[in-house]
Amino acid sequence: MLMNWGGRLPVNVTDSSKINQMQLSKSLLSGFKLLLNGLLTLTVVFCFTTLILLIAGAPPLAAYYHIFKGSLGSWITFGHVVKTWIPLTLCSTGLIYTFRIGLWNIGVEGQIMMGAVFSTAMLRWGADWNQPFGVIGLAYGAGISGGAMWAIIAGFLKTKGGVNEIFAGLGLNFVAQGLILWLIFGPWRRPGVASMSGTEPFPYELWLSNWPGLRIAPAGLALAIGAIFLTALILKYTRIGLNLKAIGNNAQAARLFGLNPKHHMLLAMLFAGGLAGLAGNIQVTGIYHRLLPAISSNYGYLALMVVMLANYNIWAAPLVAFFFACLNVGSIQLPMALRLDSSLSGVIQGSLVLATLAVQAWRVKRNK
Amino acid sequence: MFKKGKSALFIGIVLCIVCGVAAGLGMAAEKPFTFGLLLVGPYNDHGYSQAHFEGGQYVEQKVPGTKMIYIDKVNPADRPGITITQLVDDMAGKGAKLIIANSDDMKDGVREAARLHPKVHFIHISGDDVLTGKAPKNLSNLFGRMEYGKMMAGFVAALSTKSGKIGYLGPLVNEETRRLAASCYLGARYAWEKVLKKNPADLKFKVTWIGFWFNIPGVTLDPTQVAQNFFNSGYDVVASGIDTTENLVVAKQKQQAGKYARAIPYDYKGACKGAGDVCLGVPYFNWGPSFVNLIKSSQEGKWKSQWLWLGPDWKDINNEDASTIGFAAGPALAADAKAKLDAFVKDLGTGKTELFKGPLHYQNGDLFIKEGSKATDKQIWYMKQLLKGMEGPSSAK
Amino acid sequence: MLNTNEDETMRIELQDIHKYYGPVRANNGVSLTIASGEIHGILGENGAGKSTLMKILSGFIHATKGTILIDACPVKFENPAQASLMGIGMLYQDPLDFPFLTVLDNFMLGLTDGLSVQADQFRNQLNELSASFGFQVNPDIPVQRLTIGERQQLEILRLLGLGIEVLVLDEPTTGISAVQKQLLFQALKKLAADGKSVILVSHKLEDVEALCDRVTVLRYGAVTGAMESPFDTGMLLKMMFGAPPSQPLRKAAQSGSSVLEMKQVYASGGRSGLKDCSITFRQGEMIGLAGLEGSGQGVFLRVASGMQKPALGEISLRGARIKGGAFPAFRQAGAAFLPASRLEEGLIPGLTLTEHYALQNKSSKFLIPWAQAYQQAQKCINLFRIKGQPQTFVQTLSGGNQQRLLLSFLPDKPKLLLLENPTRGLDLESAHWVWQRLCNYADRKVCIVFASSELDEILMVANRVLVFFDGSIIKDVKADETDADELGRAIAGKCD
Repeated sequence: MLMNWGGRLPVNVTDSSKINQMQLSKSLLSGFKLLLNGLLTLTVVFCFTTLILLIAGAPPLAAYYHIFKGSLGSWITFGHVVKTWIPLTLCSTGLIYTFRIGLWNIGVEGQIMMGAVFSTAMLRWGADWNQPFGVIGLAYGAGISGGAMWAIIAGFLKTKGGVNEIFAGLGLNFVAQGLILWLIFGPWRRPGVASMSGTEPFPYELWLSNWPGLRIAPAGLALAIGAIFLTALILKYTRIGLNLKAIGNNAQAARLFGLNPKHHMLLAMLFAGGLAGLAGNIQVTGIYHRLLPAISSNYGYLALMVVMLANYNIWAAPLVAFFFACLNVGSIQLPMALRLDSSLSGVIQGSLVLATLAVQAWRVKRNK
Repeated sequence: MFKKGKSALFIGIVLCIVCGVAAGLGMAAEKPFTFGLLLVGPYNDHGYSQAHFEGGQYVEQKVPGTKMIYIDKVNPADRPGITITQLVDDMAGKGAKLIIANSDDMKDGVREAARLHPKVHFIHISGDDVLTGKAPKNLSNLFGRMEYGKMMAGFVAALSTKSGKIGYLGPLVNEETRRLAASCYLGARYAWEKVLKKNPADLKFKVTWIGFWFNIPGVTLDPTQVAQNFFNSGYDVVASGIDTTENLVVAKQKQQAGKYARAIPYDYKGACKGAGDVCLGVPYFNWGPSFVNLIKSSQEGKWKSQWLWLGPDWKDINNEDASTIGFAAGPALAADAKAKLDAFVKDLGTGKTELFKGPLHYQNGDLFIKEGSKATDKQIWYMKQLLKGMEGPSSAK
Repeated sequence: MLNTNEDETMRIELQDIHKYYGPVRANNGVSLTIASGEIHGILGENGAGKSTLMKILSGFIHATKGTILIDACPVKFENPAQASLMGIGMLYQDPLDFPFLTVLDNFMLGLTDGLSVQADQFRNQLNELSASFGFQVNPDIPVQRLTIGERQQLEILRLLGLGIEVLVLDEPTTGISAVQKQLLFQALKKLAADGKSVILVSHKLEDVEALCDRVTVLRYGAVTGAMESPFDTGMLLKMMFGAPPSQPLRKAAQSGSSVLEMKQVYASGGRSGLKDCSITFRQGEMIGLAGLEGSGQGVFLRVASGMQKPALGEISLRGARIKGGAFPAFRQAGAAFLPASRLEEGLIPGLTLTEHYALQNKSSKFLIPWAQAYQQAQKCINLFRIKGQPQTFVQTLSGGNQQRLLLSFLPDKPKLLLLENPTRGLDLESAHWVWQRLCNYADRKVCIVFASSELDEILMVANRVLVFFDGSIIKDVKADETDADELGRAIAGKCD
């Protein structure tokens, strides 16, 4: 009883021109789908935030207008956006390494703080050397090593002690915060003063210099952009990048390929911590010019959201970070112009993440 | 993975486009004399920041054609990532010609912002940049001689305590807070020794610093807890040096629980409201008149960089059109105590009673003001320690 | 729950089912009918589209085109829950249960409303059901401690508890013992006798022949033929492959120098761990590891390959002591390991073939030689006849192709190959191909150790057999000095 004899593979794999053509039309189609998804996500976010604004009794259009005006309305506000973008992007870039290998580096907050602490230590130590450039340079190194050290502790707790990196990170965040408070109230207090408002500002020559008229430090901007490109290169063209991805997707199998998951976890933490530490350094040298308890500005937690929203993609993360920076800077207009609570910007950021995840989940479900 | 990344990229791009559309909906505004107010706490904190806020409203009322813009909760804990420079940029962008920053904490930021905006006038409340010569020409300092208010607070505290133990809820430690705590102590000691004729050694006056002007959970001590501790360890009057009114709330609880408890809040005239039965009175700032003067001089081109330390109007310390500081007696203040207070205020005004007068000693026994001489403004402003007889740290260890 | 009623029987018709994954046509116009009370076999090699078809029927995925008719009425399932409401339940190749919950909890899932927990009632129902099929499942142990066979039994009971009328089984005899297989077949026959339909998806001719009333054969996503019992084996093979594959021959044992030596090794893991294991393997030996699933073979292979650190004991590779668990050193010494669960332990989901070859390629230390890796992928795809492209993600390959890919990663000159169920889930042709590759290694005097749940396979290719029982090696014989009966008794723990 033979029927329908002779099924055949539907695609002729040797005909390469056909495949190229097909891939082209496929990529066009997928590009269109992506645009559609983007618009859909935006619509959901837009509706949700508008609803929240209405509930808060605010005119939504005016609120959006003021947020825009306050972030991209002038070169000066744009400068402030970039100033926020730099540390946020540095942290996000670092988190891409740890997410790649499947680690939740919640400790990034503490890593920023330790970067700031180490940088401050260096700047205080070198304040009277009369070598401002040398000292600032050393402070970069100190910041990076401070953040990296803090990350490595979490890494060791994970690889040697089996402590979940989320709990280790949270714990270390508290320790770092405590250390900063102790330093500010204790050894690094201003003479005769005990205030949580921070240490004595550094001498002017140890500030990261800004572009005249703008509030952007070129050195910080260069470092952030450099970090993006370097990370992209490392992830794409080096063994480290591929190894991180392999271990992140299946650590067990990666061992069969001769990879050591623990070493790579430490390596990823080292990168993430180093970049977060650099962000801490820039917070200290470029923005506040002193150490204060809230030195991390919550950029670590914000960066976690940025990277998730960017779907762990190195090119998307800076864009999302830029958008978050706009929200952060622009939202100060809400209380100033509309007498609204500026924490609404946090609500907008949160709903953005939720809406994106919802649309993605919906898409995955539909594709099945 | 890469595909999904692209979608996020798209989101980013499209969001920017949306922002662009929003920009098209411009809004026109007329141009009054705009002044900005940077408040360290909430504008409705029943304390320090609200006093400034109402000072700003007073200006809008009294000087036609002025408009206030303000931003409150300007501190790194409430608004992470925000800098003074950024806020000043924003306010200047909105046309502010004069900006008032109300916290000691903003000292460095205001100085930096003043350098960046030479055409905008700045008033830094409580600062001393003009005194120290660090201030650029467009920056002035303004403060009220709250020392007198604190003396009155100490005075009524000593008259009202039954246990002879007065607690002082201190904010952070700096020159300002030291001299205010010391003034409070001087007022209390005067009442104890000269009015009640008691032995000064029996008067306990303890200062506990929480670490900031108001409670920041996890960062400062909890002022509610500190006030509780005072009342629980025999202190029956707690005077506040912080911007918020935890001591009143706790005192009220204790009073309702059947204990004798009295509190003195700080900064804001209306602070006693709602807590009448425990509130002895409040030393307060009345910023309106001085704001009006400075804004008028800025409008009329008569601005000059100056350091102003304005006292009460002794004719009527509660005259809201003239007196920079005042003391509003609270409903819990006994009638005879009130009478004694009035006499005390009168003597202060005429100079008959002078509390910063030698001999005064620092906490560690060093001589502060020698016998027979009066302290100068600078000596008071830059006090190094608490005074002998006060408990609590003079500075951070 | 099991009462039969003529009204409840169902007739299922699939009409012209198409399913496309991009350019790949997994199903290309499949039509077939399943009558009630019938055991219907779906036969075909891996990648023929059997699993896809069944996932469509059970609502797990949607067909691109085509209709499903139940009792001549067209239906469309949005999800598996709707399919099981209509009475169709599927038993997947890897049971979809909750390993940390107990057997009873797993059984109750989906049956309770979540508010009232009537554990006792369900316990009785579970015990009754399992007794009626002769299953022995302890309701109170966590599912992760069950063998694959027992998990399968639990899943069948759970589906019956849901009241399904049509039971779809995807490769159910893979990874279960002979006894469990016998039980399973009895249970399926009983179900059919009760008027329920059973659809058996398999690539194993013997299973289909032993059990089914009717068989439909798929090849390249289309139906190539159908046949009713009794079956003509040659004909079925022709429908499956076009031409029947030939069988490899067992090689005579060659004796060389010691490759692997273990002395009193103990290790934990699996159901029984590994106890007091002392053996020596030599060059050229082809050693089959027999035993019930989880009797210590898996732990043994992991310890021998350096993937797992033993608790006690000595290991030597090629005469030199080696530290247990030091995988890189084992690798250096020429040991290679292929795990049974390919996507869990062997391959990296989310990475393409090229990326796997890039991981494998160690020619440069810092940068990835992408061009080289791509070429290597192309070469191996041709050489190992992998149905995929260099940019294909490994998780989209069928089981057979995943195994071919894994084999292509084996080093050129290994000393010791350790393979866990190397042909599990593979169609005959692929299995045959795998053994040919492995025999090439054996010709080069490589020592090959493999675990298999199928005695026939062991007897066909191995020249030495070890039988594991409860974590210990209870039998170690030359393959030509034993037979299936003796080994079968040893597997059950009976040694002469």
